Amino acid sequence: MDRTLKAISLILSYPTLELQQAMPEIGGVLAADTRLTAAARRDLRPVVEELAGRDIYALQEQYVMLFDRSRTLSLNLFEHVHGESRDRGGAMVSLIETYRDGGFEPATSELPDHLPVLLEFLATRSQTEGQETLADAAHIFEALVTRLARRESAYGAVFAALSQLAAVEADSEAVAAMLAEPEVDPTDLEALDEVWEESEVLFGPDPNAGCPQVRDMLSRMDTPINPSPRQAAE
Amino acid sequence: MSHLLDRLNFLQSKELEQFSNGHGQVTRENRDWEDTYRNRWRHDKVVRSTHGVNCTGSCSWKIYVKSGIVTWETQQTDYPRTRPDLPNHEPRGCARGASYSWYLYSANRVKNPLVRGRLMKIWRKMRETMEPIAAWTKLQGDPVLRASYVENRGMGGFVRATWDEATEITAAANAYTAKTYGPDRVFGFSPIPAMSMVSYAAGSRYLSLMGGVCMSFYDWYCDLPPASPMTWGEQTDVPESADWYNAGYLLLWGSNVPQTRTPDAHFYTEARYKGTKSAVICPDYSEAAKFGDVWLNAKQGTDAALAMAFGHVILREFHLDRQTEYFEDYVRKYSDFPMLVQLDQKDGHLVPGRFLRADDLAGKLGEKNNPEWKTVAFDEVSDSLVSPNGSVGYRWGEDGEWNLEEKANTADTRLKLSLVLDEDHDDVVAVDFPYFGGQTFGQFNTDAEHPDILTRNIPVKMIKGPKGKKIAVATVFDLFCANYGLDRGLGGDWVTNDYNDQMPGTPAWAEKITGVPADKIIHVAREFADNAEKTTGKSMIIIGAAMNHWYHMDMNYRGVINMLVMCGCVGQSGGGWAHYVGQEKLRPQTGWQPLAFGLDWSRPPRHMNSTSAWYAHSDQWRYETLEAKEILSPTAPDGDWDINLIDYNIRAERMGWLPSAPQLKTNPLEVAKSAKAAGKDISAYVAENLKSGDLEMSCEDPDNPANWPRNLFVWRSNLLGSSGKGHEYFLKHLLGTDHGVMGKDLGQDGAQLPKEAVWHKDAPRGKLDLLVTIDFRMSTTCVYSDIVLPTASWYEKDDMNTSDMHPFIHPLQAAVDPAYESKSDWEIFKAIAKKFQEITPGYLEKETDVVLLPILHDTPAEIAQDQVLDWKKGECDLIPGKTAPAFVTVERDYTAIYDRFTALGPLLDKLGNGGKGISWDTQTEIDNLSALNGVQLDGAAAGRPKIETAIDACEVILMLAPETNGEVAVKAWHALEKATGREHAHLAEGEQHNKIRFRDIAAQPRKIISSPTWSGIESEKVSYNAGYTNVHELIPWRTLTGRQQLYQDHLWMRAFGEGLMSYRPPVDLKTITADVLDDGDTLVLNFITPHQKWGIHSTYTDNLLMLTLNRGGPVVWISEVDAKSAGIKDNDWIEAYNINGALTARAVVSQRIKEGTAFMYHAQEKIVNTPGSEKTGNRGGIHNSVTRTTMKPTHMIGGYAHQSYGFNYYGTVGSNRDEFVVIRKMKNVDWLDNGATPAVEAAE
Repeated sequence: MDRTLKAISLILSYPTLELQQAMPEIGGVLAADTRLTAAARRDLRPVVEELAGRDIYALQEQYVMLFDRSRTLSLNLFEHVHGESRDRGGAMVSLIETYRDGGFEPATSELPDHLPVLLEFLATRSQTEGQETLADAAHIFEALVTRLARRESAYGAVFAALSQLAAVEADSEAVAAMLAEPEVDPTDLEALDEVWEESEVLFGPDPNAGCPQVRDMLSRMDTPINPSPRQAAE
Repeated sequence: MSHLLDRLNFLQSKELEQFSNGHGQVTRENRDWEDTYRNRWRHDKVVRSTHGVNCTGSCSWKIYVKSGIVTWETQQTDYPRTRPDLPNHEPRGCARGASYSWYLYSANRVKNPLVRGRLMKIWRKMRETMEPIAAWTKLQGDPVLRASYVENRGMGGFVRATWDEATEITAAANAYTAKTYGPDRVFGFSPIPAMSMVSYAAGSRYLSLMGGVCMSFYDWYCDLPPASPMTWGEQTDVPESADWYNAGYLLLWGSNVPQTRTPDAHFYTEARYKGTKSAVICPDYSEAAKFGDVWLNAKQGTDAALAMAFGHVILREFHLDRQTEYFEDYVRKYSDFPMLVQLDQKDGHLVPGRFLRADDLAGKLGEKNNPEWKTVAFDEVSDSLVSPNGSVGYRWGEDGEWNLEEKANTADTRLKLSLVLDEDHDDVVAVDFPYFGGQTFGQFNTDAEHPDILTRNIPVKMIKGPKGKKIAVATVFDLFCANYGLDRGLGGDWVTNDYNDQMPGTPAWAEKITGVPADKIIHVAREFADNAEKTTGKSMIIIGAAMNHWYHMDMNYRGVINMLVMCGCVGQSGGGWAHYVGQEKLRPQTGWQPLAFGLDWSRPPRHMNSTSAWYAHSDQWRYETLEAKEILSPTAPDGDWDINLIDYNIRAERMGWLPSAPQLKTNPLEVAKSAKAAGKDISAYVAENLKSGDLEMSCEDPDNPANWPRNLFVWRSNLLGSSGKGHEYFLKHLLGTDHGVMGKDLGQDGAQLPKEAVWHKDAPRGKLDLLVTIDFRMSTTCVYSDIVLPTASWYEKDDMNTSDMHPFIHPLQAAVDPAYESKSDWEIFKAIAKKFQEITPGYLEKETDVVLLPILHDTPAEIAQDQVLDWKKGECDLIPGKTAPAFVTVERDYTAIYDRFTALGPLLDKLGNGGKGISWDTQTEIDNLSALNGVQLDGAAAGRPKIETAIDACEVILMLAPETNGEVAVKAWHALEKATGREHAHLAEGEQHNKIRFRDIAAQPRKIISSPTWSGIESEKVSYNAGYTNVHELIPWRTLTGRQQLYQDHLWMRAFGEGLMSYRPPVDLKTITADVLDDGDTLVLNFITPHQKWGIHSTYTDNLLMLTLNRGGPVVWISEVDAKSAGIKDNDWIEAYNINGALTARAVVSQRIKEGTAFMYHAQEKIVNTPGSEKTGNRGGIHNSVTRTTMKPTHMIGGYAHQSYGFNYYGTVGSNRDEFVVIRKMKNVDWLDNGATPAVEAAE
């Protein structure tokens, strides 16, 4: 088993007392994997320490706020790929079939595209397969690294590590497209709204361009009279 | 995949095999690409379900499932066919429903049970050493611990919990509250059972078994039109949409059919192809406007003036100058027009008073049974006064004459409509009518000068009362015509025969108020009536929330109803009123009620009208700006009318008119114990102690901690979001968290304090100990809750759904298991009940509860108070159930809540089942259910039919209801025959052996069976339409007169000037005060919240794809002229505020909108795209932030035949259209990223 992927699967699961107790061991696995650069391994220490040492309720509140409540940080990968579109159901079906072909039956209430589920599955596969699958999602990991960094969350390092394991250069256009979506402050209920900040109207082959008749109007709509402070700071 | 290698680019094979004489040929190239399309449509199963959302659609959908995942849905197309010459129903559905599978797996779903982190931490710590109830007791006893989570409501900080923990906290809180304060401090709010009736019943059954309070919704949502119970004694009954097709003339009045009734709109289109004419009345150029042959853009809020002018023309041309035979015959038989009204002296003038009753006459016309409830008319056949069949006095205490046959005392009659002929009247007298058209402010100030009393001449007959006293009486019809300002040759002022006179009631007068040209008014009125005459009543008016959400909605609606009655349209297929606001029609209602309210175990349940409850408990009454004297009639009888609106409500509760919750300041479980200890009958004990003051009703002191609601369940609802009128007051007082209330309360303002309600200088904050919300998405209400339980959505549970728009009963089915950790509402409440039963023994046992029951409509008690007398003021004795609520003893078993929840109890065997005033034995159905569902083998309900699963629950409903069990329908009709003395069973006999089961509706939508619960029928000849059986089977309307009642004679109706319909402008709520208005802000607009196209209430308004069809977040529509005056351009961020709060949105500047109005579609979410308000410094609110509930005393009337309380039938309503806001362009758009963070850090 690829213990590193399994370790990351655990780190990204809902924090429990059991997880807290296992954190030294999990941290050890990550610190020993040479697929990760020394810097990446060093960067993982804060999250490992936080999970091991912080009050469990604070960790749980933070987890719910970050990963259950914030759309832009969803651990359901297809949220980032398909959003609320008709393709999502079909994509999940394909993923379940992949698990079944691999000899597993999902035994969780989580959906198949939940990242810890996928990582656990990949931990049982060959390193090549793991790396190739992760490579498909590299742009999501890149975007999450940036988003979490903006919130000064230690979890960002986990996605940076996943990026390295994917061992590809993420498609920078795809990352940029994801990052173009507005920011969310995960510890703040109200900042959830930022997901919705832009009044984006999707038309035509290039969703960001708008149809010619309304392009000018859209671009005006996309520029707030006064940008939000965080965007202004960037 | 590339197919380049498989494809020949330059060559074509000559050796193709051919078949079918060369029409087909075989190719050998690669065809793998076809698999893409094969897989795309590959699925494991297709399941029928629908969307349980309050949209009235109830559309059948095919849900496609592959590997346990919902992949997509498509519209079902297998509705039973309609009859020849009527279009079929399908396809039903809309873009919202079609996107549901996308929403199903949305990141906004609640995945696990969530508990506020601080509460969870304290709880777990306490549970290490304490039992659950002891832990909750300790927690509530410690103000610091309680405040630690209460004050953080709405500020994040949830952690996941197990189902076991979440249900344990909930059950412990409920048990503690029942024992400490009383079970009536546990509230539950869930709306619209018709949209998923088992899910509703799950919570209400649990609450009812433990003695908790089920909160009403139809009135709170202001979807209830009080004019319907006033006129017909019926909550709401309307035609199915297919009946639009049968109409010859369709008037769309404030209803935007293509936008909000999408799946039904095709009938409207098809009717147009058939040649039906249509007029559309709405202030804006709506989607419906383009369907109209004529569009009347009446000023918002002035509809009643328009209706009066229509009525003026119809009366003049079809009743007075020429008497249309059909109309005259109809109103004689089916309206109160011939009934006689006494004229009372008031300051030397005459005013219309009470209906003349048999009791008012010497000899009482020989009536011994209820003579004070039998109205009187003149009969042309016998040339004498008679008490015609059918009034409410005939309904109770005797059988056989409660019908609309033209008879009195078995003799044939022909009632006189008018006394206008010289030989018919003894005198012509001057009678005062109130005129409210001059009570205007701001933009409504358009009426020419008229006095507030209009004195008009009325022909009267002088008759002798019991003590020889002479009484002047007039027919309703004569008063009615005078009220419309029609000159009948009797002389006097304020009547005219010229449409162009500036006289209240004329088209010219209405033009001035509404802005609609008089010639168009005349034109539409003529066409409407002319069509009704030619088609015997096939003129229909489709109306909606736009008309009903005004403070004086009764005037709008009664204006419309008057037109329909004048033209004989009600009860005729293709005619009548079509009020579609809320999915109110729970077709198998009588089968559902025992399940929902635990009537199989104990009666009565605790029901509460929400408007009054929230008005009191979110302390909105403390900020009331409307004084009773502002709405009182200048012709009001003498009385103590100068009291606050809450005082009216308290009097109503005390006199048994409206329900109460909480009920008594003392725990009802303790009251029963004390009564037993004193060796007294419980009812007599309560009466005695209320009189002495040793017991107090909670309503008199809503801010006393002993009278607070303590626990609140919210399920299937976004109570604090889309339906929280006075949202900011909820936050401040009920929840005790951050809020945006800017106004001062009555004490700070130095205003008149209430006379009946106790005033506390400082209002409480945070009345609720625990708020539990059950939802599938993280709604605004969830965000403010202490516990959020994830529920199954519409493709994940078994349930049933019905609508007023079509007569089919639809299933919801679990196509897949509930996602994540969620469970169906049925399973959730079952789990809470189980936990309750586990932890309660030793704390609560078998207990005796005392329930305060208001005087209910459709029961023999409804003829309780023909006079208004208050026992507390010593005007009468306190007689439980007659001059006050009844005090009913209910035995509860707190050790068997789960056992009772999951089995059908024995009370149905004993008392039978029924509704709307009739009942029947139902033993056969119970035996059938035992056989069908099986029986419980052990526990407290051993031997009783099982209700374990939601499907079991569906079978209970289907088996017991006449609408879904033909055998019951026949029994029900026979029960009604006893009262009416007529034969009705033929309406169901053909269906006697038809019993619809859950698996039947899963196979295909099934049409319901005709039942006396409803006033329409299912037949091969007519479509379903309200009032059909009244007109065609001569079953009386359930009103005082037994007819469609256009005159309301209750003392309070007369006091507030609403005996007859008239135009009343919007009320001035004074929400824009000098204190709140900022310098430079000048644009004040009427704030209107119509239904939208991209969501159903707040559902879907957090769906990005739906939002992007509009502008991605909250918007407010304003007119070009208004925008220009405030320097606002399209898409600018704007702020709308008044003393209730503020909201932020983008402006949509459009020619569509009439000047003076601002539209904000109901109901966008606070959690979506809302920047901070410059006004409050907090996040901008939602559309309800600028609203506050204001109650109307006439809606509190009770104990008076049709004006008696019924759950969601009558009561105060949460109107919200008389609200005004200041609109300005925002200078800075602040997303409050920084400001909010410290609060959360503080929370950690």
